[in-house]
Amino acid sequence: MLNIVFYFQVHQPYRLNHFNVLDIAHNAKIFDDKLNGNVMRKVANKCYLPTNQLLLELIEKYEGRFKVAFSITGTALEQFKLYSPETLDSFKRLVDTGCVELLGETYYHSLAFLFDTNEFLDQVYLHRDLMQKEFGYFTTTFRNTELIYQDRLSDIIFEIEGFKTIITEGVDRILQWRSPLYAYKNYSKNINLLLKYYQLADDIAFRFSNRDWPEYPLTVDKFIHWIDQLTLAEKGGKNLFLNLFMDYETFGEHQWASTGIFDFMRHFPDAVLAREHLGFAHPKDISHLANYQQESLSFPEPVSWADEQRDISAWLGNEMQQNASETLYELLNRIKEKGDEELLRIARLLSTSDHFYYMCSKYFQDGDVHKYFSPYDSPDQAYIYYINALAELEELLLR
Amino acid sequence: MKILMFTWEFPPLISGGLGMACYGMAKALLSQGIKIDLVLPTKELVFFPLREESDADTLPAVFIEPEKHKEYTKRTFSTMHERLEYIGISAHPESYFNLNEIKDYVTSIKTTSWLTETLTTEEHNIWKEMTARLIGEEDLIRKVQEYTFRAHRFAEILDYDLIHAHDWLTYPSGILAKQISRKPLIVHIHATEFDRAGGTGDERIHKIEHLGMTYADKVIAVSQYTAQMIMSRYRIDTAKIRIIHNAFTVSEATLHNKKRIFKGPTILYLGRVTLQKGPDYYLDMADKVLKVHPEARFILAGTGDMQRQILRRSAALRLKNRFLFTGFLNRKQVERILQAVDIYVLPSVSEPFGISPLEAMAYGITAIISKQSGVAEVVHNAFKIDYWDIDLWAETINHLLENPEECTKIGMEGRKEVQKIQWDEAADKIRQLYAETLSEYSKQMEL
Repeated sequence: MLNIVFYFQVHQPYRLNHFNVLDIAHNAKIFDDKLNGNVMRKVANKCYLPTNQLLLELIEKYEGRFKVAFSITGTALEQFKLYSPETLDSFKRLVDTGCVELLGETYYHSLAFLFDTNEFLDQVYLHRDLMQKEFGYFTTTFRNTELIYQDRLSDIIFEIEGFKTIITEGVDRILQWRSPLYAYKNYSKNINLLLKYYQLADDIAFRFSNRDWPEYPLTVDKFIHWIDQLTLAEKGGKNLFLNLFMDYETFGEHQWASTGIFDFMRHFPDAVLAREHLGFAHPKDISHLANYQQESLSFPEPVSWADEQRDISAWLGNEMQQNASETLYELLNRIKEKGDEELLRIARLLSTSDHFYYMCSKYFQDGDVHKYFSPYDSPDQAYIYYINALAELEELLLR
Repeated sequence: MKILMFTWEFPPLISGGLGMACYGMAKALLSQGIKIDLVLPTKELVFFPLREESDADTLPAVFIEPEKHKEYTKRTFSTMHERLEYIGISAHPESYFNLNEIKDYVTSIKTTSWLTETLTTEEHNIWKEMTARLIGEEDLIRKVQEYTFRAHRFAEILDYDLIHAHDWLTYPSGILAKQISRKPLIVHIHATEFDRAGGTGDERIHKIEHLGMTYADKVIAVSQYTAQMIMSRYRIDTAKIRIIHNAFTVSEATLHNKKRIFKGPTILYLGRVTLQKGPDYYLDMADKVLKVHPEARFILAGTGDMQRQILRRSAALRLKNRFLFTGFLNRKQVERILQAVDIYVLPSVSEPFGISPLEAMAYGITAIISKQSGVAEVVHNAFKIDYWDIDLWAETINHLLENPEECTKIGMEGRKEVQKIQWDEAADKIRQLYAETLSEYSKQMEL
């Protein structure tokens, strides 16, 4: 049996204003409320609302056989409330069907794991509390920001009550000859690992509308044929997991409705459920579905799902990103020492990984992706505004 | 006495100190009864007849095409800014011209009376050399071509006693105007290509600078430092050179109280971010100072071709949020930032004059300036350090941070001092030079 595990990432950052040195200490706003509101309303209309509606219809149609998982960040959820409450309602309806698993992550979609374990834990608990409060859901699968994972993360997550599974990227240099279709264990064998099958996931997320791609256009028939072939090698009756992890904005935002992405999604479950050896599962199901000795994998260095390198260089690869992030976490700790909740809130909003992504200066194809997602003219400009915001934050702390 | 003045910058058109210097100078000259027809690289074909002191601020404009002028005078503009926009003056000098309008300068210039006039061989060679140097496809060179082409018309239709051209961008125009009108030419050196490039620079520009100075009747250098450069690098006849230091117009904004941004002591670099101005030295001293005084804040105000390099290196040095970039600042923003800082530094590798430290000092800010600058010749209540002596720069800043009272005291002394460095005195010297040049010139003509 091959279980298709859909997990969609739902995230929006609080983007910064074009924050100048002269704005410092003048009660200027750090965050661009207008832009953030516009983006949220736009994405809600193009993606969240129509896709939620589609998934709801599919869940109802297949009476529990179609399942998906979401990870919704705290910053996205807050902005639903501010700018698109109907989006939050529609997610709640989806969760109420029981066919949706919610994953745990950091509330602020931060890189805290890499800098500050205490802050990381704070943000994980904040997120778990939010999921309980808003959806009445207790998370048991963990997803770290941008699927960043290394051995140390499993040690921390294992210590938190309830988390049994972590999902991350199926990185070739870790897997080597192994297949990402199996369920694995972490290096100390106390937590499950599910690995993204990036070729097929990215066929949908990145290549779906790319006319230069030799496989264009991607049809349900073609895709299901590839999935059929994956199962041929496994004859021992073991349960496999095809982990299709992607940004939720793939639907209608990164791939516009006109590309046919919604039709693809509408008809894909039909094709899957028509086959006896295929089905859908949640990440949490791995615990009872894995009917074999799970091999353990060691990730000595951090991996992620970004760019060709699948490492953390998209956020921390250059010196601007390093200086900015180090400065933030130092400041954040000083704020915690002082116990100023208002400033802690600002510092945490500044911990969102997107701010560092905008400063990425890698070139070629990956750089294009970064540019597409950035509200600023250049990585340098993103850095300037961010550092100015940190200067503002420090002045507020010294107040 | 009426002067035909060519300059590339004049407020609100400003990219550096040249515009501020021309403004202060023109204002003071006007107050001393000199009339000026000012030609700027405007989009429209206009000149600015300045007759009274206030004209330097309002910039009355005259179209030289009667039809267009009628159109212009009929229009009502709600603000002066709107009026200047119409003429084609915006904040950045690089945006003046519409490049599409530019015809092939070299061919069109040949059809003018220029070559049909009786020329000495020397003059003919100069002109051939100059037009050859002006060939280039870069925007700036093309803009200079266009400016020169238009200068021809101004030189023909306007009536003036003497031509005054500021920096190489307008030297071809000055030379052309002299040739057409047979009126004396004064070229004013605010900076040479050696200063700007911090190295050899563009050879075409050197040639144009050399030609301008050679063809001029008098050369004004803004400092002893610049005069030395002119003599040693360009071999210009020393008898032609006059040193007239720039001065400074105290604006009302300087009287305002301090309006801090940072609680910690704040240090400012204000200028283009290019090799000439030494922004890399600024970064190095910031690095050294912040190791001792992490509470300090360093601001780099301005833009330029080295910004990316400086930005990346400030991050690599892990200067945290203590080394900040403002980008380009307009006049108002410059005034605001000057109200917020304690120490001003000018680490220029080569600075013919350097007006901005005077402005900083007028705000009571303690200035530390490069010894390789003209301004170091005129102020006493400021620290003067070789631009390359990073350790001494850092020690001096540390000393001032550790002795804030001394810092304030020097700032106040400096403030008093610069208020005396007024344009009136410099304008007086310029006016005398005009008179001297004219009388020499008429004697020459008689001979």
